Amino acid sequence: MRNRLTIQEYSGWAGVAIAICLLHLLPAQAAAHGAALSYETVRGIEITALYDSGEPMTGAQVAVFAPDDPVEPWLTGTCDDSGKFFFTPDPDRPGLWEIQARLAGHGDLLRIEVTADSGISGGTTGFTALQKLVMAMAVIWGLTGTALFFSRRKN
Amino acid sequence: MKHLKLFAAVPVLFLLSFLLLAGCAADPEAAKDPGNGEPEETGTLVFTANGEAFVREGFLSKDGWSLTFDHAYITVSGVTAYQTEPPYDTEQGWDIDYQVKVELPGVYTVDLANPDADPAILKEEAAAPAGRYHALSWEMAQASEGPAKGYMLYLVGKAEKGSEVIQFVLRLEKEVAYIGGEYIGDERKGILAAGDSAEMEMTFHFDHLFGDGAADENDSLNREALGFDPLAALAVDGLVDVSLAELQDDLSAADYQLLVSILTHLAHVGEGHCLAKFLE
Repeated sequence: MRNRLTIQEYSGWAGVAIAICLLHLLPAQAAAHGAALSYETVRGIEITALYDSGEPMTGAQVAVFAPDDPVEPWLTGTCDDSGKFFFTPDPDRPGLWEIQARLAGHGDLLRIEVTADSGISGGTTGFTALQKLVMAMAVIWGLTGTALFFSRRKN
Repeated sequence: MKHLKLFAAVPVLFLLSFLLLAGCAADPEAAKDPGNGEPEETGTLVFTANGEAFVREGFLSKDGWSLTFDHAYITVSGVTAYQTEPPYDTEQGWDIDYQVKVELPGVYTVDLANPDADPAILKEEAAAPAGRYHALSWEMAQASEGPAKGYMLYLVGKAEKGSEVIQFVLRLEKEVAYIGGEYIGDERKGILAAGDSAEMEMTFHFDHLFGDGAADENDSLNREALGFDPLAALAVDGLVDVSLAELQDDLSAADYQLLVSILTHLAHVGEGHCLAKFLE
């Protein structure tokens, strides 16, 4: 019982394999209904548009505005049946991205900060810079107090 | 003990820093003067009001009345546009932290049913600082003169359903203040480039009052609208001419409360909802 193939047999099998591949390629060129799916993992933003009642804004018109052009939409589309819309912002255009969703006289605007390293920091909080500073100070104060408490116990 | 003193000193230090920073914070008025001796960049801010095609062309109410409007007078005052950073959102409430404010002094009455009111122009403010205006506030106030005197909203029109025709005059006097964020619609508004012009639009959705026969009856818009049937029931010899005070007596308590609540979401900025509160 042989368990090795000769050079000639290799060549023969390779020829058969190439022929099969070509046979698969030919219909793809000839048929109009051919399709090819592929995927890549991307980081993006999914928004959900709901009415005040909680019902999804199915089919709502969405316009996405890049930070450097608040007038012309960077992307347009529609929400799905669940009121969701997904997009991946251009990481080369950092800043405040704006997403507007509208349907039948109802609409809202969402702002999302996108940083240069394509980190998405979430919707705007509404806090001013001064408020953020005071919060940061409070955190630092708390940490300082904790550190002093433990250092006192050591002494 | 030494550590405790240090710990107590930290908040004092922070407080001093806070006061120093607060003192250095930008003065809203300072935004109007670049401070470099150069003239400020300005443009024309056009304040407008829009009743949309509903009142210019008429529409079908949720209960099947074909409504057309001879007049739809609204009266507004205290109209103010704001540039804010961060951009204002109605979730922030009524307190608005602005860098630039443009106020439109005076009281304005416009007829939104006028075919040319697409939109109606209140006034053009020619020397408005350039920039992006993120918020708009105003009051629907009683007119002090003219055909709508004494009312903030004055609707005159005709309702038809089958062979029935009713002339109506709806006079509403209860004053309401509104504040909204940026215009939401099929174009951006409120972005003013130097030497250019930009619109600040108050938008009034009359389908919120009468409902929209073109929409599904279970649509939230129709569920929350009064419709025209309750007013038609008050007609005498084909005419209903009522004020809000009279409607308080004539409508059912539920319908009157519904009508009053509708006044808080009648006004929008484009399709963006506003905060509203009654003025007493």
